[in-house]
Amino acid sequence: KGDTVKQKVRKSNVAYKTVSQVPKEPDVRDLRIFVDKKYETVILPVFGVPTPYHISTIKNISMSVEGDYTYLRINFFCPGSALGRNEGNVFPNPEATFVKELTYRASNQKNTNTSVVPANNLNTAFRIIKDVQKKFKTREAEEKEKEG
Amino acid sequence: DTLEFDQIYQENKGAMYDGRLRISKQGIVFKNNKTGKVDNLSGTDLNLTHWFRVARGYELKVGLKSGAVFKYDGFKESDFDKLSDFINKNYKMRLEEKELSVKGWNWGTAKFKGPLLSFDIDNMSAFEIPLGNVSHCATSKNEVALEFHQNDDADVSLMEMRFYVPPNQDNPDVDPVQA
Repeated sequence: KGDTVKQKVRKSNVAYKTVSQVPKEPDVRDLRIFVDKKYETVILPVFGVPTPYHISTIKNISMSVEGDYTYLRINFFCPGSALGRNEGNVFPNPEATFVKELTYRASNQKNTNTSVVPANNLNTAFRIIKDVQKKFKTREAEEKEKEG
Repeated sequence: DTLEFDQIYQENKGAMYDGRLRISKQGIVFKNNKTGKVDNLSGTDLNLTHWFRVARGYELKVGLKSGAVFKYDGFKESDFDKLSDFINKNYKMRLEEKELSVKGWNWGTAKFKGPLLSFDIDNMSAFEIPLGNVSHCATSKNEVALEFHQNDDADVSLMEMRFYVPPNQDNPDVDPVQA
């Protein structure tokens, strides 16, 4: 029940083949967000587990500062959302459940123990995700053009 | 006959707490160094023991017959043999090696497993949400939104997660989120 129908998935991008490929960066160990440029993957902490999301799953991101906190919202592609210029987007498993959106919060105040500003992690992640996303989209468009 | 491990970590709403774990025939005792809180799991209550690669190293996940689940991170790869032998000998159980999905996909199946909501990709768990962390849950058309309790000790803290749930499908797995 609730299981997705087994079918050959058409060219879905895979972040990592095995768990040993997941980087052991301090940000990963300390449950902050880490962007793996090499594998074009964003590693998001979900209750103790560094959870990878391939850049192709991310639709858009937004950041806001409210009072003492910075918020980073990540929207993922899922059925029913406006496809826009990704009109060619076919979901290999439309009957699956999708993670649609994740919102993280970090303080703009220095952490008293480490004198690190936690919000810096979200700022950095925001910048690098945009960067990786841009490169990925450019490459994808080029490949499409080649195919004709 | 006991095994002791220093620098073992327990995650709580996005923050890691270090502590010490002792395992003996009587059971597993973990003491949180910061709060002094002690988990005391009796050996006869154990139901399952799993081994995962997670944030700080390897995680020992312990399930009790009551359905409760405890997770301890920070073990070394080389601890597996020691722990596995010990658990086998003293609790007559297997320490099962498990793998989390690292495919990087955002689609899968949400499954309730006792106190946890597991998001599975290709029958492998990608992450788990302790339902006790959910402060608010709202459902609307094809969507389930979960808000989480915050922990000020966490540098980066997950506030909210939204799921797209496909239409026209009996999805008995999703309704109990109302818990």
